[in-house]
Amino acid sequence: MLLGMLASVMWTAGRVTVPLMVQLGLDRGVREDGPLLGWVLLILGAGFVSAVFLGVRRYLAFRNARIIEAKLRDRIFAHVQRLHFSFHDANATGELMSRGNTDLQHFQNVVVLVPLTFGNFLIVCAVTLIMVIIQPMLALLALVSLPFVNVLGRRFAQRLHPAVLAVQQEAAQLAAVVEETVSGVRVVKGFGSEPVQAAKLEVEADDVFDESMRASVIRARYMPAIEVLPNIGLITVLGYGGHLVLNGDMTVGELVSFNIYVLMLVQPLRMLGMIVANAQRAASAGERISEVLETAPRIVDPERPVPLPATGALGRVEFRNVSFDYRPDTDAGVLNGLDLTIEPGESVALVGATGSGKSTVARLLPRFYDVDRGDVRLDGVDVRTVRRQELRRAVGIVFEETFLFSSSIRDNIAFADPEATQDVVERAARLAGADEFIAEMPEGYDTVIGERGFSLSGGQRQRLAIARAILADPRVLILDDATSAVDPTKEHEIRDALGEVMARRTTIVIAHRPATIALADRVVLLDNGRVAAEGTHAELLAGNERYREVLAVDRAAPGAGA
Amino acid sequence: MGWAWGHATDPDDQLDIDATRRVLGRTARMLLPYRRGALGAVGLIVLWTAMLLAGPLLVRRGIDEGIAKGDSGQLNVSIGLYVVVAIVSYLCFRNAIVLLARVGEGFLRDMRTRVFDSLLRQSMAFYDREKAGVLVSRMTSDVDSLQELVQFGLIMFTSAALLLIGSFVILMVLSWQLMLLCAVAVPFVALASVKFQRDSNKAYLAVREEIGDTLSTLQEGISGVRVVQAFAREEVEARRFSDANFSLYRTHMASVRIQCWYLPIVEFAGAATTALALGVGGWMVREGRLSLGTVVAFILLLSTLFEPVQQLSQLFNMVQSATASLHKLYGLIDEPLEIADPVDGVDMPTGEPIVLDSVSFGYAGGDPVLRDVDLEIAPGERVAFVGPTGAGKSTMAKLIARFYDPTVGSVRVGDVDLRDIGLRSLRDHVVVVPQEGYLFSGTIADNIRVARPEASDAEVRDAIDRIGVLDRFEQLPEGLATEVRERGSRLSAGEKQLVSLARAALADPSVLILDEATSSVDPGTEAAVETAMETLMRDRTVIAIAHRLSTSERCDRVAVVSDGRLVELGSHDELVAAGGHYFALYDAWVVGLGHDS
Ligand SMILES: Nc1ncnc2c1ncn2[C@@H]1O[C@H](COP(=O)(O)OP(=O)(O)OP(=O)(O)O)[C@@H](O)[C@H]1O
Ligand SMILES: Nc1ncnc2c1ncn2[C@@H]1O[C@H](COP(=O)(O)OP(=O)(O)OP(=O)(O)O)[C@@H](O)[C@H]1O
Ligand SMILES: [Mg+2]
Ligand SMILES: [Mg+2]
Repeated sequence: MLLGMLASVMWTAGRVTVPLMVQLGLDRGVREDGPLLGWVLLILGAGFVSAVFLGVRRYLAFRNARIIEAKLRDRIFAHVQRLHFSFHDANATGELMSRGNTDLQHFQNVVVLVPLTFGNFLIVCAVTLIMVIIQPMLALLALVSLPFVNVLGRRFAQRLHPAVLAVQQEAAQLAAVVEETVSGVRVVKGFGSEPVQAAKLEVEADDVFDESMRASVIRARYMPAIEVLPNIGLITVLGYGGHLVLNGDMTVGELVSFNIYVLMLVQPLRMLGMIVANAQRAASAGERISEVLETAPRIVDPERPVPLPATGALGRVEFRNVSFDYRPDTDAGVLNGLDLTIEPGESVALVGATGSGKSTVARLLPRFYDVDRGDVRLDGVDVRTVRRQELRRAVGIVFEETFLFSSSIRDNIAFADPEATQDVVERAARLAGADEFIAEMPEGYDTVIGERGFSLSGGQRQRLAIARAILADPRVLILDDATSAVDPTKEHEIRDALGEVMARRTTIVIAHRPATIALADRVVLLDNGRVAAEGTHAELLAGNERYREVLAVDRAAPGAGA
Repeated sequence: MGWAWGHATDPDDQLDIDATRRVLGRTARMLLPYRRGALGAVGLIVLWTAMLLAGPLLVRRGIDEGIAKGDSGQLNVSIGLYVVVAIVSYLCFRNAIVLLARVGEGFLRDMRTRVFDSLLRQSMAFYDREKAGVLVSRMTSDVDSLQELVQFGLIMFTSAALLLIGSFVILMVLSWQLMLLCAVAVPFVALASVKFQRDSNKAYLAVREEIGDTLSTLQEGISGVRVVQAFAREEVEARRFSDANFSLYRTHMASVRIQCWYLPIVEFAGAATTALALGVGGWMVREGRLSLGTVVAFILLLSTLFEPVQQLSQLFNMVQSATASLHKLYGLIDEPLEIADPVDGVDMPTGEPIVLDSVSFGYAGGDPVLRDVDLEIAPGERVAFVGPTGAGKSTMAKLIARFYDPTVGSVRVGDVDLRDIGLRSLRDHVVVVPQEGYLFSGTIADNIRVARPEASDAEVRDAIDRIGVLDRFEQLPEGLATEVRERGSRLSAGEKQLVSLARAALADPSVLILDEATSSVDPGTEAAVETAMETLMRDRTVIAIAHRLSTSERCDRVAVVSDGRLVELGSHDELVAAGGHYFALYDAWVVGLGHDS
C-alpha cells in the first residue's frame, strides 16, 4: 500500500512537471532565444519518471485488487460448501453463483480504483497549486467550471447506477428464461412449449431494450456535458489569458501550460466523481457477499466431539422420538415422534406413501438437518456430538435424485476416495451392476459423462451413484429409491451382488417395489410421520391393511393368477 | 476492465481475416433495417471528432492572428468560434449516444430473439452435444460483451480512431517537416502496440478460459453441494477450487503485467514527442520558419495524439471479443437443423397407426442402440415398453416423438413419414413426459401450466384432479401456489413426478408417452393415479414405459425391448403364457408380491 502511494506521488510529480517545462521552454528558450536543449532534456526526464511510475502504480493497484478478489472467492466457495442443506434449499444456485461472480466484480472494480484515486487526488491538488502560483486570477477563472465535472460525474454515476441495475435485473430474468429452457429442454420439447418460451423471451428482450434505452438517455444527458465543461475552462484561458498576454501580464508559455493543465485535470476529476457511485455499488455487492459469509453453518462440529465406537458390532441406528419439519412454523410436521431401532448388520426397508417422509428419515441420519425434538443415534452416539466428517464417512447415502459430476466415470465412482486403485473402483462398479455397461463405453472408465450424466440411461446413472456409495465403504448404507429406474431382473443381480456389500453393514433401503422390499430382513411402514407397522414383508402383507394399500397388492393380485 | 465474465472458450475465439470479414458482412446485413439511425450516428461522431480537433487549431489562430499581432479583435473572433465549436460538439455527442443506443440495442434485441429461436429449433442431439452452461453463456456473456461495445465502446473506438487520423493529418498540414521529425516516436509506439496487441490478445484468451473453468467449478460445486457434503468432501473440493481460482489470479496478473509495460511506453513517447516538438519547433520559430502558434498547436495536438493510442489499445480487446462473440452467435443462428421443420409440412393424420418400419438408431453416429425394430401401434391402443436398463426403451419413445430421426428405416403415422409432418402439429399431437423430469422455478400451478400456458386456474386444478391427487397438493399450506424452488427441491421425489404427470393431463394430445412417469411414486398412489387416468387415456394412443409390471398389465399390448431389439410383442396374458423374457420379468415381479408361493 505504502509502495503504491509512493509510486503515485512520483507519477504525479513527473506528470505535472512536463507542462511546466514546456512553458519555460517556450518562454525562455523560444521567445527569449535562451538555451532550449536543457528544457527539452528536462521534459524527457520528467516524462520518463511519470511513465515508469505509471506502470508501477498500475501494477500494484491491480495486484492488490486481484489478490483480494481471489481470496474472497476462495472463502465464498469454501463457506458455501459448508453451509447446511436448508440454506441451499432456500438459495438457488444462480443466486450463489452471482455472489462469487458479478458481485465480486463490482467489489474488485472499486478496490482497483482506491489507490488510483489517491494519485488522481494528488494530481488535482498539485495542478491547482501550480496554476494558482502562475496566475491566480486566471487559475480561478479556468478552474471555476471544473468542479462541475466532479459534481456532474458524481450525479451521473448516481443516476446511472439504478438504471444499470435495472438493466442487469432484466438481463438476469432473460438469462433465467434461457437457463430453464436449456436445462429443461426435454420437458419443453416433450410438451411442444417452444412458442411459449419464445414469447417469454421476447417479453424479456423488450424489457432489456427499454431499460437499456433509459440508461442510454441518462448517459446522453451527462456524458456530453462532462465532456464539454473543460472547454469552458479552455475558452476562458484563451480569452482572459489571451488578453493578459496582449497586455503583457502573462507569457505565451504560461498560456500554453495552462491549457495543458486544464486538460490534465479532466480525467482525474471525472474519475473522482465516478468512484463515489461505484463505491455505492460495491458496498451493496459487498453486503450481499458478507451476508453469505456471515451465515453461520447450522450443522457444525460439536465443541467436544465424541468419537464413534470403532470395535464391536457396528452400525446400530436409533431414532428416538424424533420430530422434524422443514419449516418450523407449521404444526403438522413431517415426522412426529418417530421411534426406530436398526441393529448392526440388519437390512431394513422403509416403505410409505409418497411424501410420507422416508427421504427425510434418510437425511436425518447423516445430519443434513437437525431434528426438532428427540435424537438420532449411531452406535449409541447422538449424531450431533460426532464430527461431521466422521459421521458422513460412516453413513453412505445414494440420493433418489442422481447427481453426477461432469468428469470421468472413474472420478465419479472414486469420489469418496480419489486415490482408490483401479481394482477398488472396478469392484465397486461390479457390485453395483455397472461394470458391464462401463465396459461397453468407448473409453471405459475414462469416458467423460456429459452434464449431470444425461448421456446415460436412467438406470445407468443410478448404478454409478450406487457404486460411488459402495466405494466409500460406510458402516451404514442408505439407498433412497436408488433402483427405481433399474429393471427387476437387473435389480436382482444388483441385490445379489449387494448381498456381499450388505453382509458387513447396516443397510436402509427405501423402495416401492415389492421384490426389492422382500429382500430386507425387516420392513418398516411409515405413515403420518411415525412408524405405523414393522415386521417382515410377508407378515405385513398378510396382516396390515395400510401396507397392502401402499404397495397396491390387492389390485395386482388378480393378474398374478392368470 | 472490460473482461467479460463467464465466457466459454473455444478455437473460434481466434478469428482469421476471413471469419472477421464474414462477421462484418453479416452484421451489416442485420443492421440494414437500422441504416438511417446508424448513418446518422456515424455522421454525428465524425462531426464531433472534427470539433474536438478544431480546439487546438483555434488556440493557434488566437495566438498567431490575435496575440502575436496584438489584434484583440482577432482574438475575440477565435474565442467566439471556440464557443460555437463547444456547443456543436455537445449537441453532436449527445445525439450520437441516443442514436447509436437505439441502433445497437435494437440490434441486440434482434440478436437475442433470433439466437433463442434458433436454440428452440435445435434437435435433442444438439443438446446432448452442447453443455447447457455454454449455451446459456451465448445468450448472456456473449451478448453482454456486445452490449459494452454498444453502450460506449463503439463511440470511443470510432472517435479515438478518427481523432488519431485527424490529428495526424492536421499536424502534417501545419508543418510536415516538424511532423516527420516528431514521427520518429511512431515506429517505436507502433512496434510496441503490435507486440502488445498480440500478447494481450493471448492473455485475454487465457483469462477467458480460466474464468470459464473457475466458474464451472464454482457452479458444479454449488449445484452438487449435497453430494459433496454427503461424502464429507468439502475440504477437498474447496482446495480443488482454490487451485483453479489462483491459476485464474496468475493469468489475470500476466495480463496486467502486459499492460504495465505497454502503457508507460506510450506515456513516455508522448513526453518525448512533446520535447522534440518544443526543441525542433522552437528552433524553427527562431529561424522564422514556423509561427509560435503552430508550435503551440503542435504541442496541444500531440498531447491528444497519444491518448487515443492508449484508448484504442484498450478498446481493441473489447472489439475483438465482440467480434468473436458475434462469430459464435452467428454460428448458433446458422447451426444446421438436424430435425428440420419440413417445408409444406402436413398436419399429423389422426386415427392412423404409428409404424416403426425397420428402424435402427445410434446416438451421434455411435454404435446402434436400436436395431431393426418393427412395430405398429394402433390408434387408441395402449402399449407398454418393458425391458432391462439401457435396452433402448426411452430411445424408442424419443424416436416416436421425433426428438431424433432414425438412422435407418422410418417412423410413420399411417402412410406419412414423421419427417413430413409439420413440427408444430406433431408436438401438439404427441406429448412426452420424459424420464428426466424437470420442474421450473415457480409455483406448482406454473409448472403444470407449461403444457398449456393459457389454461385457467380452474383448468389447472381440474388437470390435477384428473390424475386423482388434488387433495394432496391442496393440503400444502400454500396449496397450488407453493413455490417448488430450484428443480422442485421443496417437493418429495414422488410429488415432483405427480406434478410432471399433471402437465400431461392438462395437455390434450392424441399420443401420450409416459417414460417412467411414476417410477418414484408408491404403488398405492400409482394405482390410484392410473385408475383416475383411465378417463384421460380413453381414445388416446398411450405408450407407457415402466419397470413396474402393474403398469404393463393394464396395457393392451406389451413390447419387450432387449439390447436394442424388439424381442417379444403381445398382450400381457399371451406373453406370460409364452414363458419367454416377459414371463421371467413378471415372475420376478410377482414373487415380490408374495402371491405365488
Ligand atoms: N427441502 C424441503 N423443504 C420443504 N419441504 C420438503 C422438503 N423436502 C421434502 N419436503 C416435504 O416433506 C414431506 C416428506 O418428504 P420426503 O421427501 O421425505 O417424502 P418421501 O417419503 O421420500 O416421498 P417419495 O416417496 O415421494 O420420495 C413432503 O410432503 C415434502 O413436500
Ligand atoms: N443422449 C444420449 N447420447 C448417447 N447415448 C445415449 C443417450 N441416451 C441414451 N444413450 C445410450 O443408449 C442406450 C439406450 O438408452 P435408453 O435411455 O433408451 O435406455 P432405457 O431402455 O430407457 O433404459 P432405462 O430403463 O435405464 O431408462 C444406453 O446404452 C444409453 O447409454
Ligand atoms: Mg423420497
Ligand atoms: Mg429410459
